[in-house]
Amino acid sequence: MKSDLRRRLERVEIPDEHDTRVRAWEVVERAFAEREPGRRRTPARPLLALVAAAAVIAAVASPPGRALLGSVREAIGVERAEPALFSLPTGGRLLVSSDAGAWIVQRDGSRRLLGPYREASWSPRGLYVVASGGDELTAVDPKGTVRWKLARRDVRLPRWGGRELDTRIAYLAGSRLHVVAGDGTGDVDAGGMPAAARVAPAWWHARRHVLAYADTRGRVAVYDADAGALRFRTGRIGDVLGLEWSSRARLLIVGRNALTVYGAQGQRVWRVRLPGIVAARFSPDGRRIAVLRRQDVLVLDVHRPRGRRTVFAGSGAFRELAWSPDGDWLLVGWPAADQWVFIRVTRARRIRAVSDVSAQFGGGGFPRVEGWCCPP
Amino acid sequence: MPGSGRDERAWVRGAQAGSASDLEALFRAHWPRAFRAAYLVVHDSAAAEDIAQESFLAAVRALDGFDRRRPFGAWLHRIVVNRAIDWARARALRAEVELQDGFVAGAERAAAPGDDVLRALAALPPDHRAVIVLRHLLEYTPGEIAELLELPRGTVNSRLRRALDQLKERV
Repeated sequence: MKSDLRRRLERVEIPDEHDTRVRAWEVVERAFAEREPGRRRTPARPLLALVAAAAVIAAVASPPGRALLGSVREAIGVERAEPALFSLPTGGRLLVSSDAGAWIVQRDGSRRLLGPYREASWSPRGLYVVASGGDELTAVDPKGTVRWKLARRDVRLPRWGGRELDTRIAYLAGSRLHVVAGDGTGDVDAGGMPAAARVAPAWWHARRHVLAYADTRGRVAVYDADAGALRFRTGRIGDVLGLEWSSRARLLIVGRNALTVYGAQGQRVWRVRLPGIVAARFSPDGRRIAVLRRQDVLVLDVHRPRGRRTVFAGSGAFRELAWSPDGDWLLVGWPAADQWVFIRVTRARRIRAVSDVSAQFGGGGFPRVEGWCCPP
Repeated sequence: MPGSGRDERAWVRGAQAGSASDLEALFRAHWPRAFRAAYLVVHDSAAAEDIAQESFLAAVRALDGFDRRRPFGAWLHRIVVNRAIDWARARALRAEVELQDGFVAGAERAAAPGDDVLRALAALPPDHRAVIVLRHLLEYTPGEIAELLELPRGTVNSRLRRALDQLKERV
C-alpha cells in the first residue's frame, strides 16, 4: 500500500502544472531581484558604471562634448522657472516624501518636515497623515505630532480611506495587505492569497470600506473590508503601476501600456492602449484622467477616452503627477531638470515651474509627491 | 528531484551571494514537490500555486539569515504544509465572489477530483491529508513530521493510522 500510495500521489494530475511553475518563477525571480538586505551586486555593474562614467567625462571634456552638454541643459527644464517654491498656484497642501522624510507644503510655500518617514498619505479630510518607515506605521497630525504607532515588518504604501470618523488605513507589510482602523486599532491581515503586489492599495470613496489592490499574479482584487470578503477580481492584467477610484465609483487600473476602467460591480467599462505610461490619476471630479508618460502629459475625458489632449511635453523623463484639489492644475515632477512643473489644464493653459526642488526637501534624490490635499 | 545535500548547500550559498541561477536551481529542485504537496492538501490548483509561491517568497525574504547547515527542503515544506492546512481550514470561512462575465477571471474553482486517491484524500480533514502527504509523498519519518508540524509524535502516528485506514476503505 505504502509504495503504491506514493506512486499514486505522484501521478495525480494537477491542472496547469507547467504554467504554474513558469508564473511562480517569474514572481520569485522578481522578488529576488528587488530584495534589499544583503543583496550583492554582480561585479560587472560597478565596472560598467565606471566605464560609462569615464566615457561621459571624456566626452564632456572635449569641445564638442561641452557643446552637447550645453544643448542638453537647454532642452531640459522650463525656462524662467522660479528659484524656489514661493507658493502653490492654487489652494490645498502638498504631501511630499524625500530622502529626509515626509513634508507638508502649505499654499504659501512654507514646508514642515513631519519626520523621517519613507512614504506618507493624507487622511480623507487632510486632518492627519499616515506614514511608513522601516517597520512602523505611524499616524501624525500636520504638525508632526505622533498620534499612534504600529510595529509591523517592512511597512509600505499606506493609504487612508473612509469617511468622517469611520476611517481605515490599508498598507502592505512585506507582501501582505493589512487593514487597520483610523485610530490604529483592529489591525488585520486582509489580503488572503495570493500575496499583494507592491502597488499602493486604493480606497473607494463610498460609505463602505472597499479597496482595490493588485496581487502578485497581475490581477486586481476589490475587497470589502467590512464584510471581510472579496467583491470581485479581475483577470490577469500584467504589470499594474497604480490604482485609483474616482469620486464616481470608477476604478482606474494603470498599466505600463494601457489604462483600464472598471465599474464598482466589476464590469469593465473601457480599456485604452497607450505606450510608456508612468502614472495616471483621476481628476477630483472624476470626469478626466491625467496620464503621465516619460515625455508628455495627456488629459483624457473619462467618457471619450480615445480623444486626448497633450498638455505638456519635454525631454528627459517625468515622474510625479498630482491634481490640485480644485481640478484646475496638475503638478508634474521632472527629475532631469530638478523641477516641479505646475500646468493649468482648465481655461487658458498656464505653466509655472520651480527649480532646485531636491535641495528644498533636504537634498538627495528627487522628492515624491504623495498627494495634494484639501485646504486646511 | 531535489539535489544532493552538497548541491543544495552550494545553491543556498550562491543565492545568498546574489546568484539568480543558484536560486533558480533551488526553485527547480523544490517547486514540483512543494506545489504538489500543497495541491494534495488544498485540492485547488490556484490556491496551491499561491501557497507554494508564497512559501518561496518567504524563503527569498529570509535567505540572508538562513542557516546553510539546515536542509532547505524541510524548511520549505514546513511552510508549505502549514499554510496549506491553514488555507484548507479557512476556506469555508472566507467568502469569495468571482464574477462570471467575459472580462474577469471566473473559472477558479477547485479541480474536480479525477483520481480515486484524490477523492479519498478530499474526504479526510486537512491535518490528516497533511500527514499523509508528508509521510508518503515527501517521505518524512513520523518523528520529522512531528517536528515540522510541531505536534507530539503520538498524534502524528495516530493521524497517520486513521488516515491510512480511511484511504484503504475508499481506494
